[in-house]
Amino acid sequence: MTKEEIIKKLTTIVKPYVQNEEGFKNISEETDFINDLEINSANLVDIILDVEDEFDIEIDNDAMEKMLSVKATVAIIQEKMNA
Amino acid sequence: MPNIGNDIVDLNLAKTQSDWKRKGFLEKQFTKNEQEIILNTNDSFLQVWHFWSMKEAVYKCYTQTIEKRFFAPKKFECSLISKDKGMVVFEDITFYTTTVFKDFYLHTIAKNQQKKVANFFNIGFQKTIDNDVKSKLAEITGFLPKKIEKRKSSIGAPTYYYNEKKLTKSCSISHHGNFGAFAFILENEFKRSTF
Repeated sequence: MTKEEIIKKLTTIVKPYVQNEEGFKNISEETDFINDLEINSANLVDIILDVEDEFDIEIDNDAMEKMLSVKATVAIIQEKMNA
Repeated sequence: MPNIGNDIVDLNLAKTQSDWKRKGFLEKQFTKNEQEIILNTNDSFLQVWHFWSMKEAVYKCYTQTIEKRFFAPKKFECSLISKDKGMVVFEDITFYTTTVFKDFYLHTIAKNQQKKVANFFNIGFQKTIDNDVKSKLAEITGFLPKKIEKRKSSIGAPTYYYNEKKLTKSCSISHHGNFGAFAFILENEFKRSTF
């Protein structure tokens, strides 16, 4: 799966949790879930669970710790899918 | 140095925005002990959000000093001293929490010391919370609210200034749904006793 494909799927996953539509319109690799999309921290775990389901991977605590941005999340998905 | 953090949970929003019964939800965020307490209490929903707000408030207290962001809710191990008082251990550091429960929200304040520290806090509406902090600071210090300036650290933690002078030693703002809340500790020179 290419990086673009991963970002596309991730965009669909985060959509229901987004509080800042302006930030969502401009979503890119540099987007931060909390600062730019104003996703509630309580919903970060939903994103992580959705990512696990969508990509059929398991995200451990160490990986989860870094999942605050699109870039970090894409890197983790790639790493787990290639493992 | 004393630090303070706070977290508010809009209980109606928590009901609709998250499903604590979702597979994996508890396991990803709560330790074995916490999960046991959650599942063995009458109101599991409330216990989930009580623990969550303890973890969040402590995270906000802790990250003011290290300026690092991360998402590791399980590293903050909660225990209850009483219904409203709790302790949270994060990497061998102990924090102390107090939670207020209301019909529509719950609010937790966390401190990195057990002994009393003079602090101010208030719960209001999300839309006005920034002004609420300034009004409160103006009321205590006697400075004009519009001259009080908010600055954010690299991770977004607020500090309030007046004429380049730091007013808050530690400050935390939280919002969720309809609610906003703040908690702060003043710099020594602005403490009430000096006026």
